[in-house]
Amino acid sequence: METFFSTLINGLSLGGIYAMIALGYTMVYGIAKMLNFAHGDIIMVGGYTIFLFLFVNPIVAIVMAVIFCVIFGILIEKLAYKPLRGSSPLAVLITAIGVSYLLQSFAQIIFGSATKFVEIATFENKLQLGPLVIDIPTVITLICSAAVMVALSVFVKYSKTGRAMIAVSEDKGAAQLMGINVNTIIMITFAIGSALAALAGVFTLLKSPAITPTFGAMPGIKAFTAAVIGGIGSIPGAMVGGLMLGIIETFSNSVPALSPYTDAVEFSILIVVLLVKPTGLLGKKRREKV
Amino acid sequence: MKKSTRVLSVILAAVMLVTAFAFTSCADKNYAANNTTIKIGVSGPLTGDYASYGMAVSNCAKLAIEEINAAGGLNGIMFELIDTNDEADSAKVSATYSDMYQKGMQISLGTVTTGAGIEFKALAEEDNVFYLTPSATGDAIPNGTNGFQMCFTDSNQGTASAEYFNRNFVGKKIGILYQADNDYSVGITNNFKKSIDESFKAGMVETSFTGKPTSYDSQVESLKDCDVVFLPIYTSEAAVFMRAATSKMKGDAIFFGCDGLDGIDTAVEGFDINTIKQEVSYLSHFNSKATEGPAAELIAKYNEKFDESKFPINQFGASAYDCVYAIYEALKVAVADGKTITATMSPSEFCDILSEVFKKDDFSVRGVTGECIGNEKSTISWNDDGTVSKNAIKYVVKEATA
Repeated sequence: METFFSTLINGLSLGGIYAMIALGYTMVYGIAKMLNFAHGDIIMVGGYTIFLFLFVNPIVAIVMAVIFCVIFGILIEKLAYKPLRGSSPLAVLITAIGVSYLLQSFAQIIFGSATKFVEIATFENKLQLGPLVIDIPTVITLICSAAVMVALSVFVKYSKTGRAMIAVSEDKGAAQLMGINVNTIIMITFAIGSALAALAGVFTLLKSPAITPTFGAMPGIKAFTAAVIGGIGSIPGAMVGGLMLGIIETFSNSVPALSPYTDAVEFSILIVVLLVKPTGLLGKKRREKV
Repeated sequence: MKKSTRVLSVILAAVMLVTAFAFTSCADKNYAANNTTIKIGVSGPLTGDYASYGMAVSNCAKLAIEEINAAGGLNGIMFELIDTNDEADSAKVSATYSDMYQKGMQISLGTVTTGAGIEFKALAEEDNVFYLTPSATGDAIPNGTNGFQMCFTDSNQGTASAEYFNRNFVGKKIGILYQADNDYSVGITNNFKKSIDESFKAGMVETSFTGKPTSYDSQVESLKDCDVVFLPIYTSEAAVFMRAATSKMKGDAIFFGCDGLDGIDTAVEGFDINTIKQEVSYLSHFNSKATEGPAAELIAKYNEKFDESKFPINQFGASAYDCVYAIYEALKVAVADGKTITATMSPSEFCDILSEVFKKDDFSVRGVTGECIGNEKSTISWNDDGTVSKNAIKYVVKEATA
């Protein structure tokens, strides 16, 4: 029973990380109608920024990571995606994959391909909850990801910018006619997504403090899967999908016979969900007008 | 085609044919015909990133040869080392090989590193040259006819580790963490599970990961009650796992790896091994920190003769020391069997004699690598496929912190 609960908590905290990344995918998809495959590599940018600034102080490093990721996110949107707005979705998709490789290769040129150990902070204490012993990084990840998700939901629902985002995602043309600056909204979306990716990088490093140029690739793909499971374009969907995937991954890893096939299990669930509910768990059904 | 070109092409073809014959006849010529000593060749990195391996091998081989010569050699025939520098680059091996061959090499220690060793193997098989490598661990290096190993083969480390566990960790709860998408890790794990005693299997915890996981939480959760965790993985993954596990595991638990953990205390940038409370060890065949027994004796002799601050002794060097003695012992066995050995015999003749001895079931030598009990040297023998058979030891990178 204890093992069950500690596995569940570990799963929730891993799921929190996936959800944060998935939010970036889903928001960009909902608003710019594109799959930003370079999103995972923004996590890596954040990780290396922390590596560079850790000598100052962990808080400074985290703040710098968020700032750097936001700048990178906006730059990528302006330089790579904006010129392609209106062109075929395939061109944008290929560009996104190209940007992803570009970021990875640059990181490899600058930092080398060897693993770097980046320990943001060490926590020797543990949280004792009855018979449960929980790691401090797990607790921090849980609390922060919950806070971020609540804040984001409130922001999107009640703030002016948030409602403008919803408007753009519903109907770009109509939103523009109503006086919403679509370019600004898309830029803000990229900025928020990148900031979330930076935070996800921080929490990933708290869990496994090692960074390589492909650091963001796997979490990125997992989070994308989570976003699709939840229903891409839907913010609550990304949260549910992320948490679900984190829990499945942790439980699958805790069964020895299953642990070599954890990735396969996760991606099979994606297939099952898509077969049963093609729009994802919380995705809206869109009627295509012909 | 004009007549002149046809003539030219015939001439060219003839020239090529002659050169081809000239090259093959190289191998037939006995460059050792004028030798006054038995020459042992070795190709290793004497400069560059891996110089510490090659220099230790060269130094230790010289040390062993000096000792053998001082004791009268092989019935009066002395030995001599030819060391060449391949910088651990397989492209340089054909040059170092011909250099040694033409200088009269008769027996060889092969190469120090695996990549170079694969090149060496091809050349040595062609010329029928015997080699006993101190440190090229690749599975492809030994062949059981002219190629033998003194170090454990990559895949044999699983068996050697299991045997070590069977001897030393009786009654302990063991766990395994392997990387499911890595051949090295899976290979070692499978061999380990085949050779581990039944008594361990009831409580054994086996878990795995793929790639570079975002979190090791579930693996740590599964392994946290184990007394010994077997880690047939590489340094960077091991560092992250151990960092995540250290505060959850028992203080007297042991992290036990294979040669993938070699360099765990230095290879991962930013990782401080002292943040791990438990003991960190890996399977090896020589303890370069030994303070007693045959290993310590060799270390003392080495430090007296060579500058240990520049190139300290390591498992590569100790292995080369054992290689030279093994070749010497094998030649003594051949002499006892009635074979005549002279300093002018060709490499091929030496190869036939030596491989016959190494293939004998009862041939074994005593060495400093492998498990030495007290002041007793270890027992080393060879399997039919040319791989070594000896007891492994545990090399402690870091003791448990109280």
